[in-house]
Amino acid sequence: MGFEFSRMIELMPEIWVAFGQTLYMIGISLAVAIILGLPLGVLLFVTDRGLFLENRIIQSSFGFVINMVRSIPFIILLVALIPLTDLIVGRTIGPAAASVSLSVAAIPFFARIVESALREIDKGVIEAAVAVGATPWMIIKDVLLPEAKTSIVQGVTLTIISLVAYSAMAGVVGGGGIGDLAIRFGYYRYDNTIMIVTVVILIILVQLIQQIGDWTSKAIDKR
Amino acid sequence: MIEIKDLSKVYQTKKGSVSGVDRVSLTIAEGNIFGIVGYSGAGKSSLIRCLNLLEKPTSGQIEVNGVDLTKLKGPQLRKARLKIGMIFQHFHLISQKTVAENIAFALRAAGTPRNEIEDRVTELLEMVSLADKKDVFPAQLSGGQKQRVGIARALANNPSVLLCDEATSALDPNTTLSILRLLKKINRELNITIVLITHEMNVVKEICDRMAIMQDGKVIEEGSVYDIFSNPQTPLAEEFIKSVVSFDIPEAILNECRGRILKVLFRGHVAGEGVITDTIQQFNIKGNFLHGSIEYIQERPLGIFLMEVQGNHKAINKAVSYMEERGAQVEVIRNGL
Repeated sequence: MGFEFSRMIELMPEIWVAFGQTLYMIGISLAVAIILGLPLGVLLFVTDRGLFLENRIIQSSFGFVINMVRSIPFIILLVALIPLTDLIVGRTIGPAAASVSLSVAAIPFFARIVESALREIDKGVIEAAVAVGATPWMIIKDVLLPEAKTSIVQGVTLTIISLVAYSAMAGVVGGGGIGDLAIRFGYYRYDNTIMIVTVVILIILVQLIQQIGDWTSKAIDKR
Repeated sequence: MIEIKDLSKVYQTKKGSVSGVDRVSLTIAEGNIFGIVGYSGAGKSSLIRCLNLLEKPTSGQIEVNGVDLTKLKGPQLRKARLKIGMIFQHFHLISQKTVAENIAFALRAAGTPRNEIEDRVTELLEMVSLADKKDVFPAQLSGGQKQRVGIARALANNPSVLLCDEATSALDPNTTLSILRLLKKINRELNITIVLITHEMNVVKEICDRMAIMQDGKVIEEGSVYDIFSNPQTPLAEEFIKSVVSFDIPEAILNECRGRILKVLFRGHVAGEGVITDTIQQFNIKGNFLHGSIEYIQERPLGIFLMEVQGNHKAINKAVSYMEERGAQVEVIRNGL
């Protein structure tokens, strides 16, 4: 069975719903990743050795937890977090439920990206801010985040694209989405039309995200 | 006034502890421009970074305006730092913020009211002659302009001390000169004490009042720039001076000389009194200049001449005593053949 145009038209409503689910899951988990991962990444950085809020205990304990979450395969995390999902969204299936696990996976991922973006900043600039008598909050807000913003935007791009890939596994808890559609129809049922359409949609989506990300990071860079 | 007492900084590395600064004591008077010279690794950078506690000293004290900085922490230390400006070799401006925003950052650190910031930024930019670059990003500025922004930022909160960490080492000679002039102007007009570290003796000669020479973490020589230039006590000091005022004479020329070779040094206004001419006329000897120059250090002339004198021995000896009487310092480099 090859690509059939009529089959594609027939499945349009389903593809459209799946596309919406993908955007929904990515939107929620990205928002959570930024809201919690950004401060976490900053915390990891500023508590590191030689920095203005150096704190070995905080640095290593948060680092340990982050590594732990990141070492769990996503598909296992998805199932292991079912009780937590139940607690937060009151149900264990559907895109909202899948968003919980996606968020939990995305937070440490994004935190590490932020941390490494901050590491690229010239230490001298931070030092100059310390020498000027600035408070830690001012240094974070006016030096670290502005100086790292282009790398952070690239990090957001990377996170979104990773989320697109992870969200394909959301089908395990009935999350739906484009990736799930590809697996259920294209892979299990050998429906090549669905397979081709979904893969093409994913390719276009990822290319688009990358383009927008690159463009944004270039547009805000003043160097 | 800055008082450094028995300051040491020891770094812990994988290979054991390395001494950066070794029991340094210095007093830097208010309104002075104080230069610290040394080769890289001598500890001068560690020392200046200890002065605002960017590096925490291992032991010793640093008093700035009577306050021991080593005892301060958190908010108190930040408050003390507002009064100690610092500029850097690589400027360290926030690249994603405009010139005005970079300066405003320092003002906000001091809690300057919002409505006063703009006027103060304009005032500071006028002081460093960059009023037209207010809304430009650092990437669009030349090295010298970036350093001017650094200076404006450092002066934002009316500090009593300005620390310069190799502030001109990344600049070309002309730009260096203009930055040094600006520093001098700031020192004179605002009575700000300046401490600078450098490996360029030119910088010290140009603007410093006093200087210290560092080697292996220790201060091995300290004094007024003029005294050290005219009478260095250590081989290292001599070496540094040679980098600015060199009196090397080709061997071939020396070998042709028959008479006695003297190095005559005049300090201060004596340099201009024609002592050498008088001497030659009075004692009936022949003088032949091999090398010489008059350097102006802290606006005081320092004359150094190498000359060959020929005549009878007695007359030459008398001539030497005469020049010494008139305030010259005479050193016999080689006796006559």
